Amino acid sequence: MGDEEDPKEYRWETGYEKTWEAIKEDDEGFLEASVADIVQRAKRKRHALKQGSQKLGMMRHLFILLDCSESMSSQDLKPTRLMCTLKLLEIFLDEFFDQNPISQLGVIIMHNKRAEKISDLAGNCRKHIKLINNLNRTSLVGEPSLQNGLEMALSSLKLLPSHASREILVIMGSLTTCDPGDILNTIDNMKIEGVRCSIIGLAAEVHVCRLLANQTNGVYNVILDDSHFKDLLLQHVDPPPAAKCLESSLIKMGFPHQINIEGSEEPLTMCMCHVDSVDDGSKLTTGGYYCPQCFSKYCELPVECRACGLTLVSAPHLARSYHHLFPAANYVEMTFSNQASICFACQKTFSEADKQVYQCPNCKKVFCLDCDIFIHDALHTCPGCATNLSTFQITHSN
Amino acid sequence: MNNIELPSETQPDITSTDETSLLVVILDSNPGQKMLRDNPHILTHCVDSVIAFANSHLMQKAQNKLAIMACHSKTSQFIFPGPGRPLDVRQIDGQYEAFTNVEKTTKQNLAKILSSETSSAITESLLAGAIAMALCYIARLNRIKPPGAKLNSRILVVTGSGCSASQYMNYMNVFFTAQKQNVVIDVCALDQHLSLLQQGCDITNGLYLKVPQLQGLLQYLLWVFLPEPPIREKLVLPPPVKVDYRAACFCHRELIDIGYVCSVCLSIFCKFSPICTTCHTVFKMPAPLAGKTKKKKKI
Ligand SMILES: [Zn+2]
Ligand SMILES: [Zn+2]
Ligand SMILES: [Zn+2]
Ligand SMILES: [Zn+2]
Ligand SMILES: [Zn+2]
Repeated sequence: MGDEEDPKEYRWETGYEKTWEAIKEDDEGFLEASVADIVQRAKRKRHALKQGSQKLGMMRHLFILLDCSESMSSQDLKPTRLMCTLKLLEIFLDEFFDQNPISQLGVIIMHNKRAEKISDLAGNCRKHIKLINNLNRTSLVGEPSLQNGLEMALSSLKLLPSHASREILVIMGSLTTCDPGDILNTIDNMKIEGVRCSIIGLAAEVHVCRLLANQTNGVYNVILDDSHFKDLLLQHVDPPPAAKCLESSLIKMGFPHQINIEGSEEPLTMCMCHVDSVDDGSKLTTGGYYCPQCFSKYCELPVECRACGLTLVSAPHLARSYHHLFPAANYVEMTFSNQASICFACQKTFSEADKQVYQCPNCKKVFCLDCDIFIHDALHTCPGCATNLSTFQITHSN
Repeated sequence: MNNIELPSETQPDITSTDETSLLVVILDSNPGQKMLRDNPHILTHCVDSVIAFANSHLMQKAQNKLAIMACHSKTSQFIFPGPGRPLDVRQIDGQYEAFTNVEKTTKQNLAKILSSETSSAITESLLAGAIAMALCYIARLNRIKPPGAKLNSRILVVTGSGCSASQYMNYMNVFFTAQKQNVVIDVCALDQHLSLLQQGCDITNGLYLKVPQLQGLLQYLLWVFLPEPPIREKLVLPPPVKVDYRAACFCHRELIDIGYVCSVCLSIFCKFSPICTTCHTVFKMPAPLAGKTKKKKKI
């Protein structure tokens, strides 16, 4: 993402804002179609900013700092700021763990001038979602303390090994923060520890937030409405560029396989993940994944072995992240002039309505806008390149 | 969370009328595959079986949809409903026109592709690419379907090729996309066992079958792959096999239990090495044990 040291770091945001003007101008009854079109074009633009082969922080450790102060009860988002945020966070968590399966996340809330840790850094998506859902009963009181929240997150992030990418994402409804000390010192500490802090403001721009984001190479955005909020939030699903101080290392991991001997009765055993859970009851199951180092049993992956500390994953978990590192080449937008009669991928017949078509720089195949978005948003493989041996290799060599 | 586990979505109501089943068959007709090099006539048998199977799918419900693709090493194409206008077919021998149409169109388009295939070298069929195209096609049908309508889509891969590690990344990308889009991937292996595609079936909740006898292909297709995914659990089908998801190291392609993963590019190695051969990152040597165990707890 070019916005690290780029002064025009909010290119994407302004692009989006301008589009709203465009809607007003273009008032000829095709409003709905044009909004969808604009959102798609904005998506394209964001992809264009992404550059492959850049070093990314893949082993992410992200704290979500959620404002739970009085300001979150405001109803400018429906039904309330908090409810809307929680709903979107649920979607975000799903996406985050889908795209970053070996990463960890924790949640801290800020209310009544204090910070409270809701969940520590962990990789279990369902557990986080459950905790997030429970937050709807939180009493929204007082002012938030950004400093206390940041310091609490930092105290956990500090302990991580040097190859861990450290991030904080603040969702701030309040326009003020009530801090015990000088927040500038905290910002300096963040910088020293290489913690990338991004903020999504729900109300209006706040100076200290901008400063925090700028100083720590994060991004700061203020939402326009709930769909913009969702968009901004989901941008944090992609791993950020690696911080300068991020060290590279080889990490020892275990790849357990399900032990399943045909025909033989397997004993019921307890898995380590449910050994101390109260609500689910203790689960005795057959099968499961065994840590190759200490033979503790787990019923799902990925997980960090509780007994010996080995990270246990399966190969597809790692593969889910490969597309961040090896994205499909960006297509070139060109005016439609019968380059092809149909979209190579979806077989749609091009017509007058397709003003622009998109060409892959490697395989030269031509695609429609919808496919361009789908391929770069979801598929991450160019169907043209992937169906021809002569272009198939190019895309993977860099 | 568990990424291998499938989204536990409630099964759609199969009797509902505004539901459409889309079947995309990917037929590996690459003459470079071993099975066809040994005996080219097998292709005719396979094509006939696939067409009969496809027509059975159409016969099940009036609103069922069908697409057939041919997969080769230099191209993959939709051969039904091929490019251009649908054929003008008349009723022949009392056969339902729609069926005649499938057969004629498929065979005509396939003949075109085969005649353009010049080299007789052994080439790899790029199945992952064909699945990628199929997913784009399915995504379009989902975009243009009437509001409220439901489209249940699945992809059936019929192939005699082996699967090679060079397509690993593309395979994983299409499997995860299919899983997200609720597209089921079924695989009917005609000649060789396909471990990567088998993972795809497991990830997307599809069925994998290595046909024991090619002569009975149509029977296997009708028995195993014709029932729609929601009905399958009520039928007696081949039991699911445990899929081996163990990692293979990038250095020797050997299955490993414990390995080392590059924190930059997530490449997997079986031994510690000071430099990553994939992304050329230089690593710090492992810290002395005392310092490491303390940190370990928090990772
Ligand atoms: Zn262990
Ligand atoms: Zn298209
Ligand atoms: Zn391409
Ligand atoms: Zn090796
Ligand atoms: Zn590497």
